[in-house]
Amino acid sequence: MTAAVSTGTPPADPADRTGPAAPPRRSRRRLTAYWLLLPAGLWLAVFFVAPFFYQASTSVQSGSLEKGFRVTWHFANYTQALETFGPHFLRSFAYAAVATVLCLLIGYPLAYMLAFRAGRWRNVLLVMVIAPFFTSFLIRTLAWKTILSDGGPVVGLLRGLHVLDVTATLGLTGGDRLLATPLAVVCGLTYNFLPFMILPLYSSLERIDPTLHEAARDLYATPAATFRKVTFPMSLPGVVAGTLLSFIPASGDYINAQLLGSPNTQMVGNAIQKQFLNVLDYPTAAAMSFILMAIILVMVTVYMRRAGTEELV
Amino acid sequence: MTITLSGVSKVFGDFTAVHPLDLTIPEGSFFALLGASGCGKTTTLRMIAGLEEPTAGRILLGEEDITGLPPHTRPVNTVFQNYALFPHLDVQDNIAFGLRRRGITSVREKVEEMLELVELGGMGHRKPRQLSGGQQQRVALARALINRPQVLLLDEPLGALDLKLRRQMQLELKRIQTEVGITFVHVTHDQEEAMTMADAVAVMDAGRVEQLGPPAELYEHPRTTFVANFLGTSNLIEAEITATGGPEGEELEAKVPGGAGTLRLPAQRCAAPDVRAGTAVLVGVRPEKIALRLAEDGTGDGSGDAAGDGAEANGPGSRGGSGGTRNRLTGTIRDAGYLGVSLQYIVEGTGCGELAVYEQNIERDERLRPGADVVLDWQPAHTFALDAAQSATAGTEVETEPDTEEKTA
Repeated sequence: MTAAVSTGTPPADPADRTGPAAPPRRSRRRLTAYWLLLPAGLWLAVFFVAPFFYQASTSVQSGSLEKGFRVTWHFANYTQALETFGPHFLRSFAYAAVATVLCLLIGYPLAYMLAFRAGRWRNVLLVMVIAPFFTSFLIRTLAWKTILSDGGPVVGLLRGLHVLDVTATLGLTGGDRLLATPLAVVCGLTYNFLPFMILPLYSSLERIDPTLHEAARDLYATPAATFRKVTFPMSLPGVVAGTLLSFIPASGDYINAQLLGSPNTQMVGNAIQKQFLNVLDYPTAAAMSFILMAIILVMVTVYMRRAGTEELV
Repeated sequence: MTITLSGVSKVFGDFTAVHPLDLTIPEGSFFALLGASGCGKTTTLRMIAGLEEPTAGRILLGEEDITGLPPHTRPVNTVFQNYALFPHLDVQDNIAFGLRRRGITSVREKVEEMLELVELGGMGHRKPRQLSGGQQQRVALARALINRPQVLLLDEPLGALDLKLRRQMQLELKRIQTEVGITFVHVTHDQEEAMTMADAVAVMDAGRVEQLGPPAELYEHPRTTFVANFLGTSNLIEAEITATGGPEGEELEAKVPGGAGTLRLPAQRCAAPDVRAGTAVLVGVRPEKIALRLAEDGTGDGSGDAAGDGAEANGPGSRGGSGGTRNRLTGTIRDAGYLGVSLQYIVEGTGCGELAVYEQNIERDERLRPGADVVLDWQPAHTFALDAAQSATAGTEVETEPDTEEKTA
């Protein structure tokens, strides 16, 4: 049990045993580790660190496309971006949060079933969870456009059940349609990020020894209490990982809002894309990227503190 | 409280784990279910706990039928084989788990008391993974005992401990059981563990109880070859009953084929059904009951005590209703082992296969070496006979540790 749960300490470096008598060999061994790090290090340097600083400098530039942009430490880009695109930021986080909660509500029972009840079907079902990845993200989202289209069966059914009236009063849909509404965007986000919720949940649930359930039942816990006091607390690392893996990319996503939404459901990703590619206002776009990054970082840090994951490895 | 199983059986698919079983476990006793892995002992325990539903039969706790009750409503607690401590809770929350589920909130004092009982005072704030195997075992015990269950079920609780710790915990468990006076049902594959701790042992094989009784009775009066071989070691000799009755009316005589000799035994020590002249039986004797001496020293009764033959075993008028006539076989030593506390010999008996003999290491006769011709004798009162229709080697197979999987998991 403990062996499976703890991440374990790496085995002692065998080079340590050679002692001080064999320094050349020891240092060669040490170097090997760094050589192995090199490809990843280079990749990070070229595709993360360099663009990061490049964008950081862009975000404090001023000027225009015709005259060229120059670094003038123009921090007003940030305040300007927030003023102009505040609603986009809010929408992004709201949609992402709702989608994450939906992912959790849909994904948890599924992961639970996979971990404890699937028996010999487990592997087949796991493949089915991953199966959507065999198709491109874009195509899957386009498929949702068809599914939710105005004349489609989903709209017809929901209209018949008067569900659309309810969602319209809640401001999630408008008129008699699903497409081009916030609900459609949230649906798309939920669908696209569901596997990122299920997989970490599954892996943390699957590590729970079923004997612990029996022990809880033996110790007067009802099935509900067993879930509340044993299963759920022990699956928290998976809940934290799953929510982060769906919330972070969902809040930066713009494909779903683009394909399933309307101008009124634009998220911050759409705004950044437009600033970069259509308006060609690079400094504002870069500033927005940094604001998005900073807000996500703060939220994640607070969340991790609250969830206390370090207690639960 | 008394547990009564009546006609309880369990079938998994086409495998019958437990054949219809009738068992009464008296209140306050330390009861052991002993058997090799896969004999149905754990399934029986899990049915009492409610973790497995019997295919047929009824389970009574005192007068109450608990057969259909879910586990959390039974006044029964279990100490699991791998302890099953909740890794996300510290020791005191683990121990308080049962009380809290029953809505008891002032648990502090009871938890402290329990920690003292299992000698883990001051460890309350540790996480299970910070404890050694023996300490985890005691937390598991405390977590179950704090609920004051009517019955405590222990599923191979010492299986994962090393030998020395296991011995220590055996005594500890026995002490705690005496202290709290709760009925303990202990499942184990270790016959020594069952013998040391239990008041009564049920030996199980292939889903059936082979024999039930106090440890000494099982050892001295095995009723089946499985029990004879599984509890300690037995020499089983194929023989044929030649006479019933005997001089005092309660004795049997059995002839070993090939003219190797005639063995006597009390009739009530014969477990074979329907005994009369000509019935084939397996005559048994425990290796430590046999006295061994060199053939060249003569065969007269009481003439030699070379191999530590006890005074009790000789002399006219000693017990064993055959007037001091000891059962006698001859043979040749094949192998001799020195175990410190005892000497173990394998003797090729004339006409009766290999026999094991254990001698106390008091005065070691150097001449008892492989190749030496010897005489083996023992009291008829220590002889038993079993039904020859069963396999003479049942229960002798080398045990595979059933808990290795859990240990590495």
